[in-house]
Amino acid sequence: MTLVDFNLPVVVLLPFLGALLATQAARFNRLAAAGTAAVITILALILLLPALPLPFAGQTLIQRWEWVPSLGLEFAFRLDGLGLLFALLILVIGLLVIIYARYYLSPQDSMGRFFAFLLSFMGSMLGIVLSENLIQLVIFWELTSLSSFLLISYWYTRSDARQGARMALTITGMGGLALFGGVLILGHIVGSFNLTEVLAASSLIHASPWYTPMLVLILLGAFTKSAQFPFHFWLPHAMAAPTPVSAYLHSATMVKAGIFLLVRLFPVLSGTPEWHWLVGTAGMLTLLLGAFTALFKHDIKGLLAYSTISHLGLITLLLGIGSPLAVVAALFHIINHATFKASLFMVAGIVDHETGTRDMRRVNGLMKYMPQVGILAIIASAAMAGVPLLNGFLSKEMFFDQTVSVSAISPLAWVIPVLATLAGVFSVAYSARFVHDIFFNGEPINLPKKPHEPPLYMKIPVGLLVLACIAVGVFPVYTIAGVLYVAIAGALQTTPPEYSLALWHGFSAPLLMSFIALVVGLIVYLIRKPLFAWYDRGLSQWDARIVYQALVNGLIHWAQSVTRRLDRGTFRNMLIWFFGVTLLAGVVGFWDEALLGTRELMPVDGITAMAIAGLILSSLLTVLKHRSRLISLVMLGVVGLVVSLGFAKFSAPDLALTQLSVEIVTVVLLMLALYFLPQYTHMLSSHKRHYQDIAWAMGLGFSAALLTLAVLTRDLQSISGYFLAHSKTGGGGTNVVNVILVDFRGFDTLGEIVVLALAGLGIVALLQGIKLYAPKRNAEGVPWSQESHPLILQVQARILFPMMLMVAIFIFLRGHNLPGGGFIAGLIAALAIVLQNLANGIVWTAARIRWDMHSVLAAGIGIATFTGLGAMLMHYPFLTSTFTYLKWPIVGKFEIASAMGFDTGVFLVVVGATVMILVQLGRLNYIETEDTGDLQPAKGSTP
Amino acid sequence: MNGIGFALPEIFMLVAALVVLLVDLFLRQHSRILTYMLTQAALLAAALLVYGNFADGPARQVVGDMYMHDYLSSLLKVMALLLTCVIVVYGRKYWSDHQEAPGEFYVLVLFTVLGMMLMVSSTHLIVLYLGLELMSLSLYALVSLLRDDSRATEAAMKYFILGALASGMLLYGISILYGLTGSLELLAIAEILSHEGSAETVPLLLALVFLIAGLGFKLGVVPFHMWVPDVYQGAPTAVTALIASIPKLATLALLVRLLVSGLGNITSDWAQILMVLGMLSIMLGNLVAIAQMNLKRMLAYSAIAHMGFILLGISTQTMDGNSAALFYALVYVVMSVGGFGVLILLGQAGIDAETLYDLKGLNKRSPWFAFMMLLLLFSMAGIPPLAGFHAKLLVINAVLQAGHLVLAVGMVIMSVIGAFYYLRAIKMMYFDEPDDSTPLKWDLEFGLTLSLNGVWVLVIGLMPSFLMTVCVRALDAKHLL
Repeated sequence: MTLVDFNLPVVVLLPFLGALLATQAARFNRLAAAGTAAVITILALILLLPALPLPFAGQTLIQRWEWVPSLGLEFAFRLDGLGLLFALLILVIGLLVIIYARYYLSPQDSMGRFFAFLLSFMGSMLGIVLSENLIQLVIFWELTSLSSFLLISYWYTRSDARQGARMALTITGMGGLALFGGVLILGHIVGSFNLTEVLAASSLIHASPWYTPMLVLILLGAFTKSAQFPFHFWLPHAMAAPTPVSAYLHSATMVKAGIFLLVRLFPVLSGTPEWHWLVGTAGMLTLLLGAFTALFKHDIKGLLAYSTISHLGLITLLLGIGSPLAVVAALFHIINHATFKASLFMVAGIVDHETGTRDMRRVNGLMKYMPQVGILAIIASAAMAGVPLLNGFLSKEMFFDQTVSVSAISPLAWVIPVLATLAGVFSVAYSARFVHDIFFNGEPINLPKKPHEPPLYMKIPVGLLVLACIAVGVFPVYTIAGVLYVAIAGALQTTPPEYSLALWHGFSAPLLMSFIALVVGLIVYLIRKPLFAWYDRGLSQWDARIVYQALVNGLIHWAQSVTRRLDRGTFRNMLIWFFGVTLLAGVVGFWDEALLGTRELMPVDGITAMAIAGLILSSLLTVLKHRSRLISLVMLGVVGLVVSLGFAKFSAPDLALTQLSVEIVTVVLLMLALYFLPQYTHMLSSHKRHYQDIAWAMGLGFSAALLTLAVLTRDLQSISGYFLAHSKTGGGGTNVVNVILVDFRGFDTLGEIVVLALAGLGIVALLQGIKLYAPKRNAEGVPWSQESHPLILQVQARILFPMMLMVAIFIFLRGHNLPGGGFIAGLIAALAIVLQNLANGIVWTAARIRWDMHSVLAAGIGIATFTGLGAMLMHYPFLTSTFTYLKWPIVGKFEIASAMGFDTGVFLVVVGATVMILVQLGRLNYIETEDTGDLQPAKGSTP
Repeated sequence: MNGIGFALPEIFMLVAALVVLLVDLFLRQHSRILTYMLTQAALLAAALLVYGNFADGPARQVVGDMYMHDYLSSLLKVMALLLTCVIVVYGRKYWSDHQEAPGEFYVLVLFTVLGMMLMVSSTHLIVLYLGLELMSLSLYALVSLLRDDSRATEAAMKYFILGALASGMLLYGISILYGLTGSLELLAIAEILSHEGSAETVPLLLALVFLIAGLGFKLGVVPFHMWVPDVYQGAPTAVTALIASIPKLATLALLVRLLVSGLGNITSDWAQILMVLGMLSIMLGNLVAIAQMNLKRMLAYSAIAHMGFILLGISTQTMDGNSAALFYALVYVVMSVGGFGVLILLGQAGIDAETLYDLKGLNKRSPWFAFMMLLLLFSMAGIPPLAGFHAKLLVINAVLQAGHLVLAVGMVIMSVIGAFYYLRAIKMMYFDEPDDSTPLKWDLEFGLTLSLNGVWVLVIGLMPSFLMTVCVRALDAKHLL
């Protein structure tokens, strides 16, 4: 493997390595950091050399390594004429900027940081122009945005630097993401992210239905980077960067990245009306706006920034025109602009450095103090204005020529050359202003420093660049023609068209346009005073930055208003959304299906209808009367009763019994707890809110009802068949519910009784030692009855007690075959004790309960567990049940199943837990008060 | 090893959690460090156990067909266990700032992970539900650990009620599914549903909606997202880090198992629902995040947006999309845990750092950790060459491959908008003067962990191949039943 096999990645990665070195070198002295940077740049140039012959031979050098093959990501580098041109620009101008910056930066500035940032930028930029893989290109693209951000904010203590950096990053970074989207689509269309394949797939791309969105996204990336209208405003704000940065990034290289991308993809993207319109319009508007605004900027760098914008617009416009010759002109102008604009920025830096200000209203007449710089500046600005014998003239001629030739296409297209000339006029005017205001125009006014010639090494880079302007301007064929030719070949991916770099094309329309621009431009400059006044009066506030600010603020406001509406943290909203969306999605599922399924509905008889009406009424009352808790609770009890009736009606007596006893126990327990709470709650929400809630509740309830109806009328496979078939044979009982509880799902039940026992213990733990105030009067102030335990009830309850226990035992014993079982029996037994409590009071009842309920609970769980373990002793799995039959004298044939023991456990736990809770609630140490107001929240207060 | 042995890591975890619970009871406040060390040891040992029996071969059902021994579950378990180690390290610093280290924190964290481990392995709906509930209940309790903080209790209450509702929905969906197919075992369900006309479509769809609503809640996607910001903000930051990571991984596994493996035959139905939910999440999450000045809420909304990406990845119904979603999830959890780690770093005795202003001038206070946060935030924004970039790229690419151009463009645009609020945070770190210049305090362990966390996104960003291969492997037909 020779060096030529992998020199491109080394060229790209070398500056990143250099960035690390520079920070270390800066510890020794200032020169070391700059020296490292310069050496790295020269090394990169040298490394590029072995590959040079290939582009000149018309070949493309590609070096690739796999990175993430599954994603089409690879490290792949490519060198063709176009890449070569840009790489040379980046390295050569970079070298000059490094030399210049060494003397520009003051001793307080951190050299290491500056050169580290600059080198990482250089590496990223080289990465863009040398990438073969488009995603890799996007990655380097974002890296340039980042390093540019760091460079602009180099003087991060200044607020304008921070703001400018942020704006640049926001605009270019977001543009980068848009570009990313575009590239993804492009890669998707072509089936590869490699430029070689992409550039060969022109017809495929044009035919794709995704062409337009892809184009728009890619253009967004390119326009934001190259400061095209309407994204141009970040560039003037980026001028807060140190001037070498402006010279390098914001005139010569980074802003050209967008243009580079347009040229790179020119063969496959151009040639459609969308391309012409989007690219051409953006270019023309940028050209005019930049040239016009530049004239009115008093800040030297501001003027140069807008001039840069205008020249970038010119190049974009050329690309928008889209003929091969236009591309020639565009590439030529890229080179020329880079040279003269970089030198002008360096001049601006020198002026700033030597005088301490950049305000052209104060910086005047510097020719006397720094004649050498003055001469260099004059030549460079002449190039910018397009004066003959300088490079700017040549490419500007080509540009004018293209605008003229495009004007032949349609009758309205004559505007294009006219507008181009107009832009030329302003270009001449601001160039004249640059020279005249700074170097002539009287004496300097109130400068912070006394100006003098800058150090030699600051002038050398300027001098070299100006020399290039002249050399290219006078001898284009001997200087630039070779590189330009291969660059054009690389850009167009075909043999370049016929073009001439000659100085003299005879008297032609372009020459006339140049002449008009020159003359009118000077006239405009002469009448600048009234123009400035006019601009300051009306137009100076017009800045696209306002639009940006408005957009950013608008986005934030919008986000805030969305947030206010959606993110209120109200629980009610959360519930509404949660239920609403789920039910809506469910209902939508039925959209094109019949609501009712195939199952026939059962006939409704009168009694059932009455019961249902009662159910509906009582649930409604529960909700409506919820503020009066007692009534609400009673209504809830009614609901439970109707439900248990329902179970009875649908042949589930077991469930009916369970429901009934559970209902009674819970109502009594709740009643005991409610005694300590206020009788009424205050209204918590407004009437309007109430009606809304009613609407929501009805809507949600209705859709839930519809869904239930729809599901219930469809035939579903039920699992009950299995249990019905196996209950007798497998569990020895005909009461399927009980068999399921103690046999099929015995393990479940064991878990559940443990939970029940734990809940009982938990309540005991929570309530122990709590002191509560018990009211003597109700909310209306009427005292509660003194006689809380009426005699008749006491007597009745005592008679009932043994009978209820008998019932419980009966229910327990028959449980396995007929409705009943341990659970229900336990509840009934508990109810018997509850009744005693109601009739005789808690003290009386508790005194007569001899067993400690903790032991009852433990015994219950223990018995249930040992029944299960018993099976294991016989080498059956845990909880396997067995059964046999006994003949009892009265009861008849009776079955003893091992499950019976298990059921006993259930029984004990249910009784134990219920009684424990009951006793604990009754034992609450309460302090009796006369005043009931204590328990009521203050009127109108909201919890 | 066979049978119940495949559940060894889970069994070990359960025993370890109980041991930690018991040991902690007898410890004094100043010797709580033992609880911490036991917890870390348990997590690492469990990770080793999973790793030692890593399922590299074809997937198979074990433990009475209730459990899946496959690459996906092994991968997610190792990842979750290691990540929990990181969270516990952060948690120790967090609680030491609060001058009380409740032993419950460590025990509940262990139970959360145990629940998650059950979830990712289960192919039986009941086991799955048990795992889910174990995880959720532990999290509810964790959120309310700061009992005196009214915001924390409110958040816990909301989380609990809504979470219970969501679990109910999920259970409802499961029961309809059971009614339709007569089985609770996912592969059996898939088998039954694969016969044309074996089940009525309407109830099936209803079951699907309920399942997705339940899972959507756990994942925190629009419109089931409302708890996310409140809970992220209200919970102790160490717990927020846990909520932002472990349940997301578990729910992703659940989504894949339930929808891809179980209901793979009615793909078009669920894919559409996921697409809508995913896109809404990306839009709302990114937009509302801009308006948040509270960093925890901002990260919450960003989480919503990230979850949208994951949903969209799965909604493509392709192998690429699924593995992209997995990759995204793995990258996301590390990023977000790191983000909360930095917040914990910024916290001081008794005061939690939670607003953007707390980030101000971090670069001055600690350039290294500012850089770590920069990496994490850039990665979340999807800026190359960090891991988040590849994650976004993979998902968007998969969406494009599936032919959803509009979705892909929408995702890119929303990423652009999303980048805004990450950059704002970075600006605060680097350009603003610190409001508070008390020196940051951290010990070596914390510093190393946080650095590892930050560097990880860079390393994965530079060398994503390994993780990508792993993700593809976890979800290809051979390793997933």
